[in-house]
Amino acid sequence: MAICAFLVAGFAIAIMLILRGTENSLRLANDRLGADIIVVPVGTTTKVETALLMGNPTEVWMPESNLATIAAVPGVAAASPQLYLSTLNNAACCSVASMFLVAYDPTTDFTIEPWLNKTIGRGLKLGEVVGGTHVFVPEGEQNIKIYGYFVTLKANIEPTGTGLDQSMFLTLETARDIARLSTELAEKPLIIPEKSISAVLLRLEPGTDPMTVSAEIIRRVPGVTPITSPNMFQAYRQQMTGLLASILLVLGITLVLSGLLIALVFSMAANERRRELGVLRAMGATRNFVLRSLLLEASILALEGGLAGISFTILVFFLFRNLIMRSFGFPFLLPNPGLLLIEITVGLVLALACVTIAAMIPAYRISHMEPALAMRE
Amino acid sequence: MKIIGVVLIVLALVAAIVPMFTDCQSQGKSIVLENGKTVAMKCHWSGRAELVVAVPLFVLGILFMVNSNLLVIRNLSILGIVLGIFIILIPTTLIGVCINAEMLCNSVMRPILILSGILVVVASSIGLWISFKTQAKPV
Repeated sequence: MAICAFLVAGFAIAIMLILRGTENSLRLANDRLGADIIVVPVGTTTKVETALLMGNPTEVWMPESNLATIAAVPGVAAASPQLYLSTLNNAACCSVASMFLVAYDPTTDFTIEPWLNKTIGRGLKLGEVVGGTHVFVPEGEQNIKIYGYFVTLKANIEPTGTGLDQSMFLTLETARDIARLSTELAEKPLIIPEKSISAVLLRLEPGTDPMTVSAEIIRRVPGVTPITSPNMFQAYRQQMTGLLASILLVLGITLVLSGLLIALVFSMAANERRRELGVLRAMGATRNFVLRSLLLEASILALEGGLAGISFTILVFFLFRNLIMRSFGFPFLLPNPGLLLIEITVGLVLALACVTIAAMIPAYRISHMEPALAMRE
Repeated sequence: MKIIGVVLIVLALVAAIVPMFTDCQSQGKSIVLENGKTVAMKCHWSGRAELVVAVPLFVLGILFMVNSNLLVIRNLSILGIVLGIFIILIPTTLIGVCINAEMLCNSVMRPILILSGILVVVASSIGLWISFKTQAKPV
């Protein structure tokens, strides 16, 4: 019975952790990006979303001239270009392999610069970078080497549970400086195509409909795809919906099977103690007293199994969160303690309900048996 | 006690064997020095240190299985708890593993060792509790 409760509670909390963790992660990533609309070259939506969510570097390009046209669309309050780059893999000139680099324009940026001003009191200078929460200076070194160029890590952004945690943010000036010097310093030069950008981040005026602005952008600027904030990471949300359906099915099957098993096991266990329960009834215990005792025993076992299941599941998710993220290909962030407590409570209640309901019928049958019958061999 | 003994033996094998296949050395990665020589990263040394803890834990598991004396079980349980704590400390505090979250040693080896250590502590604690509970029963 305790094992069934272990499984039910463990499954329930696993589902909640996955769903909440992914949703939380997507929301934080969205907030971190800070844009109402991101305009990317047509056909690159999935590549860009994967880069932002999973940190898999990508390089996409569109003409720089698109920026002015997009910024002139009615409803656009601010437009800021970004370049998407990456470090080299297995190269001595890069101390971090295959890292996603985002180069932004500090004069027009409205997401990173305000955060930097709040955090370090100023923007980034030439040669300085900001990293995701997992970006660090290699042990024994003072700076991070990118294409043979040493950059100073000034700050780390808060964890989002997405690929942004393994990404690096630098100014366009620093990116171009790295590209210029990489021809001499790096094993392979960093190439930034002339007059090209990867994406344009837009902030809209209050009250503006993003869909209207998107339609206008498509009309005025051929070869681009605007991604509105609510539709950001839509592919991943759909993937999660599909995963949710499968997980709920497995949970449903587990609940039904656990319930049947608990009823069977409890029936056998109570039957073994039939004579003792009969003696108890003969001594004056009421049917309700016997029923309550049996259900209390089942509940205690359910709580013990449930707590063990929940503890084990949370521990596994906490220890293996990076592996889970990489293996399943979706972002994940553990919930804050308050939310975790609510999820634990829900898991325990589910385990308790499952076991108690399953034990109800055999407990009722045994408690309502005539004492003389119960005590018979 | 036999069950606890088997659990400890299995966990000792996990602590000894898992690092052999999940440290950076097994993935062909190592630090290349200026003079061209290669040096293993600290995850490799953590794996080596785990052997030092896993072997006595393995023996402990066998002793758990063949002993029924409560005092002996109690002492073995205390030793088990200490060994479990060391299994956790080696890849986290005492030596550590690579900091990069994408490395196998960080995403697989370290969590498995921590989980194994916790389970060793739990199993040994159960053994300790049983030894006290059994003794408390009236003759």
